[in-house]
Amino acid sequence: MKDRLRINVSGIRGEVPGALNVGVVSKFSSAFTSTLEKGRIAICRDSRNTSHMLAMAVLSSVIAGGLDCADFGLLPTPFLQFLMGKETYSGGIAITGGHNPVSWNAVILLDSEGDYLDISEGSEVFNIYEAGDFTKASWKELGHIQTITFPMDRYFEELSHIVDVDRIRKMRFKVVADPCNGASSSYMKDFGDFFDLDLIPINDNPEKPFPHPPEPSVENASQVEAVVESTGADIGFLLNSDGSRISFVNEKGVAFSEEMTFPLALLSMKGKINKAITTTVTTSWADWAAQTIGIPIARTKVGQSSVVHVMESEGAAVGGEGSGSLCFLSFSLGYDSLLTLSLILDLMAREDKSLSVLTALFPERHMKKVKIDVPPERTYRVMDRLEELYSRENPDYTDGVRVERKGVWFNIRPSSTEFVLRITIEGEKQEAVESIEDELRDRMGI
Amino acid sequence: MRISDLKISISGIRGIVGESLTPQLIIKFSEAFSTYIGGGKIAVGSDTRPSAEMVKNAVFGGLLSCGASPLDLGILPIPSLQIYTKEKKLDGAISITASHNPVEWNALKLIRKGGHYLYPYEAEELLDVYYQGRFQRVTNPDKIDKGKDPFSIHQKKIVGLVDTDIIRQKKIRVVVDPCGGAASPFVQDFLEALGTEVICVNCGLTEGFPRNPEPIPENLSTLCEAVKEHKADVGFAQDADADRLAAVDENGAPIGEEYTLALAVDYYLQRKKKSPVVVNLSTSRVIEDITNKAGVELHRSLVGEINVARMMGEKGAKIGGEGNGGIIVADVHTCRDSFSGMAYLLEYLAWSGKKFSELRGELPDYYMIKHKVKASFREARMILNKISQKFRQGDIQTLDGLRVDYPDFWLHVRPSNTEPVVRIQVEGKSEESAQKVFKQIMEEI
Repeated sequence: MKDRLRINVSGIRGEVPGALNVGVVSKFSSAFTSTLEKGRIAICRDSRNTSHMLAMAVLSSVIAGGLDCADFGLLPTPFLQFLMGKETYSGGIAITGGHNPVSWNAVILLDSEGDYLDISEGSEVFNIYEAGDFTKASWKELGHIQTITFPMDRYFEELSHIVDVDRIRKMRFKVVADPCNGASSSYMKDFGDFFDLDLIPINDNPEKPFPHPPEPSVENASQVEAVVESTGADIGFLLNSDGSRISFVNEKGVAFSEEMTFPLALLSMKGKINKAITTTVTTSWADWAAQTIGIPIARTKVGQSSVVHVMESEGAAVGGEGSGSLCFLSFSLGYDSLLTLSLILDLMAREDKSLSVLTALFPERHMKKVKIDVPPERTYRVMDRLEELYSRENPDYTDGVRVERKGVWFNIRPSSTEFVLRITIEGEKQEAVESIEDELRDRMGI
Repeated sequence: MRISDLKISISGIRGIVGESLTPQLIIKFSEAFSTYIGGGKIAVGSDTRPSAEMVKNAVFGGLLSCGASPLDLGILPIPSLQIYTKEKKLDGAISITASHNPVEWNALKLIRKGGHYLYPYEAEELLDVYYQGRFQRVTNPDKIDKGKDPFSIHQKKIVGLVDTDIIRQKKIRVVVDPCGGAASPFVQDFLEALGTEVICVNCGLTEGFPRNPEPIPENLSTLCEAVKEHKADVGFAQDADADRLAAVDENGAPIGEEYTLALAVDYYLQRKKKSPVVVNLSTSRVIEDITNKAGVELHRSLVGEINVARMMGEKGAKIGGEGNGGIIVADVHTCRDSFSGMAYLLEYLAWSGKKFSELRGELPDYYMIKHKVKASFREARMILNKISQKFRQGDIQTLDGLRVDYPDFWLHVRPSNTEPVVRIQVEGKSEESAQKVFKQIMEEI
């Protein structure tokens, strides 16, 4: 699959070298620049070993199209999105593979507000890409590159309107941070200082390779678990490479699923939000949390683009996914891990309860996520067969096929970032989950 | 035949920014270059064209993609880049400059190990790699390094070869016009280090060039005026990448770019070393008079710096160049270098104690006509055929187009590699004799 490019609104994604390379990235940047109004494009990248190289292709192509570059260099994507909501930009480009393995990378296109493109905006770019019909500036009209440092104080200032900073400061939380040597690494200290944390950072050197897959999950949490246990910390957390996702480890050194992140954050926002949006594959803990704080929750397709766009059209204050992501509309239009972390700290301070106590309230749920390698040319047949098999169970087709049975639900959908089918099964009992997995494997012949 | 302004040839890639020269092409060409030479340390320098930033980022992206460890040398004259490549034992270099072309153009020039342009057969192979598009991309691209003060190596080398005391004693006043090009940040310091008093015109980096960058007499009016105004002893003009040099005498009169090389060669043979000389086939015959007088061999190579440089190596020539103002001093490096040229001409002035116009006056007069005719590639071949018929009494060489020598004049007719153009050069002992032959040629066409 090395030679296959994935082109959609969640990014132009592929393995480097291979499907994604400087030439392809240059063409996409030129195509994107061609769709934008004159002005400047905000640009950032994560710490992957190919990101700085791809950034050079982006910078050259943007200024060749006559727009200026505000080059933020190594920066978490949510920071860029935050600032784009406050300042004037024509658009944004983030070079980051997010949670994908280190050999992958992606170019993520953002509109003037820092929002992901929707499908129609995306196809405009992709059409220009295919036609090769790029806007070219003459030598007099070429753009310029400006190197900019992210104004961290503005970020904190805005954050202090959402969480009770003093209350958190008073707690003097001891926190183990694992930014996975990603784009957030350099900002850990500032964050710790701002909230008066006793911060214990690990894997916070962006010059170094990823110590583990850059995906917040239980499997990747063993280092954080060990450090929390040995230091007696109150909480530990893991980020993905561009700081958009987060998962946690409790004070006992036990990691919990990234699915827990969004429901916990909902609890933190009690009384501050009107409505939440999530996806059809997010844990039912989200429904429980929404109910607990008395707000409605609606579900849509997977991905930042669909979740945030539904939030905007529904006027929902908050949205998130089971991947450990959360967006707070009045703060920015992006999934932001440090905002999420602040909300969790705020919850712990407000309730004056440890993480293990807070999560003990959650009803029993078991979730299993399975990835099955299916090349795109086989997806159609496999999905078609599944639709047929489950058509009598009144499935939900929001994103793939979702079937709800008593005490258990499951969803099967093609991934938009990898060449896999993603199966998500969640039930009140572990056995129910396992029997569904057996059933699916049996019926799909895998 | 429709002719594109994009030129992908053995000289590199050249085009107009905003039209044909896109970041995609530059990235692809840089990937091909790094693939072809097998990565390694590759230096990148540019002239002052406003498009350098766009081109440079694309070049770095392409180099990193195919395993190179790029070195960012910023604005740097091409001879300085060549010397840096040689002295630091780098694997190659890319110069971002369209040389004497107008400001809307830009180009990549490719330098091999040892600080020479790619050999013609290498450049052809590179084009093969480029068109095949199968590049050796790496999984772990390197970072970009910055070079420290890269011009100083060049300057030190020259200053070490020149008697700066004698220049200083003579209190020589120089006006220099680097055309706001790659020499601009360095040339004033350089000439001061040689011991002269310097007035720099067109020295600032501006958006766009203050004059047409080709250092031919009609583009040098600012310099000529400044020489008169400041009562300078000599004036020098460089092109945008500072490989070519033209000179203006103390009366503000351009001596013609063919004579900058001639004076440098004359001085070198008189004062430095009796060595064979190599010039290209289009260079004035005044060089023959000089080498005859000195009793050294003269060899003529194909047009193009790399051809002159390689033949200099083969023949053990210490000095040579191209008639259009490209002086090559082997002790510095076998590349065209306006800085070496200026240093030797200044030393000549100081040592001889004569005026610049007198030095020029000591050389025999020739009159050269340079002309371009539009012709398709087929027409060009027909033109060559007609002219070789017409001038069959002369001594004919077909190494590089058609060169015909007669006792009193010679002509060189050469189709361009990149444009549907035939370049015609005629040189005679007087304007009349040159014009007469030129008319005969034009009648044939």
